Amino acid sequence: MPTKAEQREQFARYKEDVARRGKSFYPYAMFHDTVMSLVVVSVIVGLACLWYFTSGEEAGNSGWLGPRYTEEADPGTTSFVPRPDWYFYFLFYLLRIFKWPDSVVLGTVGIPTILLILLFAMPFLDRRRDRRLIRRPVAVVAALLTIASMGILTYKGATAKESLASENIALVPEWVKQEKLEGKAVDGARLFAEVGCMNCHTYLGAGASNLGAPDLTSEGTKGRGIEFQKQHIKCPQCVNPSSQMQPFPNLTDEQLTALATFLEASKGPKS
Amino acid sequence: MARTRSKRRAQLEALLLAPVDWLEERSGLVGAVRYFLFRKVPRESNWFHTLGSATLTAFLVQAVTGVILAMYYKPDPDSAYRSIQHITNDLTLGWLVRGMHRWGASVFIILLFLHMGRVFLFGAYKYPRELNWLIGVLLLTMAMGEGFTGYLLPWDQTAYWATVVGINLNASAPIAGPFIADILRGGTEIGPETLARFYSIHMLLIPGGLAGLIVLHLYLVIRLGITAPPWSESAAGYDEPPRVEPERRGLVEPRPRGNGDGAVVAPRRRTRV
Amino acid sequence: MADDLRPGGEPRDEGVEPHLPAPTIGPAGFAAGIALLLIGLVVGYWVVVAIGAALAVVFAFLWVRDLTVGVRHAPPPEPAAVAPAEPADAEDGAYRVPRAKFLEASTLGLGAAIGGIVTLPAIGFAVAPAFVGQKDVNVDLGPLENFPEGQWLVTVFTSHEDQGNVSRRTAFIRNNGMVDEAPSFTIISNRCVHLGCPVQPQGPMDEKQKRELPNDVEITPTQPSGFGCPCHGGAYDIEGNRIQGPPVRALDRFEYLIVKGHLVLGKRYSVGSVEGTGAKAKIKSYPRVDPSQHVDGWEQYLYPYVPGG
Repeated sequence: MPTKAEQREQFARYKEDVARRGKSFYPYAMFHDTVMSLVVVSVIVGLACLWYFTSGEEAGNSGWLGPRYTEEADPGTTSFVPRPDWYFYFLFYLLRIFKWPDSVVLGTVGIPTILLILLFAMPFLDRRRDRRLIRRPVAVVAALLTIASMGILTYKGATAKESLASENIALVPEWVKQEKLEGKAVDGARLFAEVGCMNCHTYLGAGASNLGAPDLTSEGTKGRGIEFQKQHIKCPQCVNPSSQMQPFPNLTDEQLTALATFLEASKGPKS
Repeated sequence: MARTRSKRRAQLEALLLAPVDWLEERSGLVGAVRYFLFRKVPRESNWFHTLGSATLTAFLVQAVTGVILAMYYKPDPDSAYRSIQHITNDLTLGWLVRGMHRWGASVFIILLFLHMGRVFLFGAYKYPRELNWLIGVLLLTMAMGEGFTGYLLPWDQTAYWATVVGINLNASAPIAGPFIADILRGGTEIGPETLARFYSIHMLLIPGGLAGLIVLHLYLVIRLGITAPPWSESAAGYDEPPRVEPERRGLVEPRPRGNGDGAVVAPRRRTRV
Repeated sequence: MADDLRPGGEPRDEGVEPHLPAPTIGPAGFAAGIALLLIGLVVGYWVVVAIGAALAVVFAFLWVRDLTVGVRHAPPPEPAAVAPAEPADAEDGAYRVPRAKFLEASTLGLGAAIGGIVTLPAIGFAVAPAFVGQKDVNVDLGPLENFPEGQWLVTVFTSHEDQGNVSRRTAFIRNNGMVDEAPSFTIISNRCVHLGCPVQPQGPMDEKQKRELPNDVEITPTQPSGFGCPCHGGAYDIEGNRIQGPPVRALDRFEYLIVKGHLVLGKRYSVGSVEGTGAKAKIKSYPRVDPSQHVDGWEQYLYPYVPGG
């Protein structure tokens, strides 16, 4: 750890080195800055043009870069899925990771606060003089880990899916076609789309996938039988004690039969 | 002949520069600008060092487009959405101003993070630049807050619900959380006060803070000097004395070595007192 | 000349100024008289004109007298130079505060006072909402006939008329039937108690069957088997109890009244958990708190104060 005198002396050496060998800010460095600023402004204008000319005037009419605006704010809606701006996606996905009520405060304020404190404390944690990357393994590794984790969290936040009953129901005809469903299985498919199964399960690429629930596209190949499916949906813990699935006690027997038929008929997409 | 020409030329120069001299004598500003422009930066400064000024450019774009948008935006829940539609669809080039502001925000954040990463990897937060780093982290948090408050202003579904969640995130902080949430919302539920509050914070409070801190940040950069890249020959940052390498000859004429007064580098105007 | 502009320099003494007479009231009074006279003429009050004229004459006389004083009498003697006040001697005995210290203290003190006067009300104004409760207003949802027994209805209503659309809220309402000759309702708020996202009924909800009632109320029938939140995977059962995911308690509920055959919504309150179902539900209720705040368990002590009361 360098002493105060050593630090000052090193800084004096730096100043003297710059005075002796340095180049004038104008025009050398300022030229670089000007070019970069031009790039920045062009990128901003370019993005604005792309966004505007590929989207439409109606709310939600989305182009390459999203819609101009969504519908007007409706605090009473039941069909909207909130999302923050993209640079908050990493925080958003962090919230999905901390799914247990006791740990929620870690994801909302705990981790971001700790990271911010670390950022503030950086110059006091690292007081070594050396700036060469080879001599700063902790810093380099920490930087790479931070970039990697923020990148992954942002990406997963961007691709996080959940299911809206109103949107899923539109997928049923496609399912019928791909899995060749008929009769009761089609009714079961409709129920499957609406009743909340897709909040946790995925099916043919739709639905939520981050809660650890299995994909059900080929559930019928597992040979579990209609009775099992009915019992399981009604009370998962009765059939599988370690299950984390929520029970559906309010479904009628007919609805349960339809769902079970649908599941048993789902043997994977047929080409 | 040459002497007459140069005398006339000197007279012409004097005439043209008279306003500059007038200003310099009364304020000293011209000297300050000259100091800023012709100060020395490390020889090895490269394109990485442009990220800071690029961030500043993005901020200025936001400020200018923001001022223009504020002339047409109406911060009331019943008219905010319509005013945004009006700006985007009806006003001449309104879409461009709004688009630049919206995408400028994203570019601003990206450049901020890149600049922070560059400063970190260059070790430019070490002595004596620790204060500058702290100011920079403050700038980062304020910029994220600016993005959060600005997101509500269009008052569409995306805006409203992202803000609901964001405020409740603050509410989850132990002990102080509920109070922070109420102060942000201007009440116990999101209402018209929330939009006005966010507008005031977004337009006045945070930009004022950003501007002040940016001035401080730049002052420190000029005062403390720009850090050379960690692979430079500069003696700074090494724990042992530097190796002195012989000058390599390449295909391109090397840049002129600046000496103390910079006379070789650019013509200097001298004020007359 | 340039020397004069250098900061920090004192202006040079140009020499002794010619001695001017001390200022008198003559000219000022004369000007006032003339002004009054003109005003009187403009507005048409002759009284004012007369007063103005009189004043002008009197002060003109005084002014001329002052101007000619040099001619009529010897000029008055130069005022004696006043010695600068000296700090009192210590031998005086009494303690006297040096002027510099007094000025320092009063500058800082007054500055602090001014700063306080300006900023404290502003800050108080900004943070007051955290300490002032919002008044809840009852909302009339309409006659009970619109809420048939056993039917879940997604009900969208305006909670504060004067605030307009920004106060639209949604509740899941079910008429549980009569209990002791009064209808029992289950009224569950649709704001998820994790972070406030809008919760969806897990079941078919036909938009085409939406009905608009007077008083800006919309009802849509649904057959939920529970409720789910699309944001982070929270799931609730049919009574609003949390069964999965990050929500920290059960869904909030509304109090209700039956007034002249109308269902009237009261205050919203928070719920720890619900035992039983429908009309027989036992609800562990708490004062209303924000999403993400625990109301029971050890975590409730992390949120000891409820703002707004």
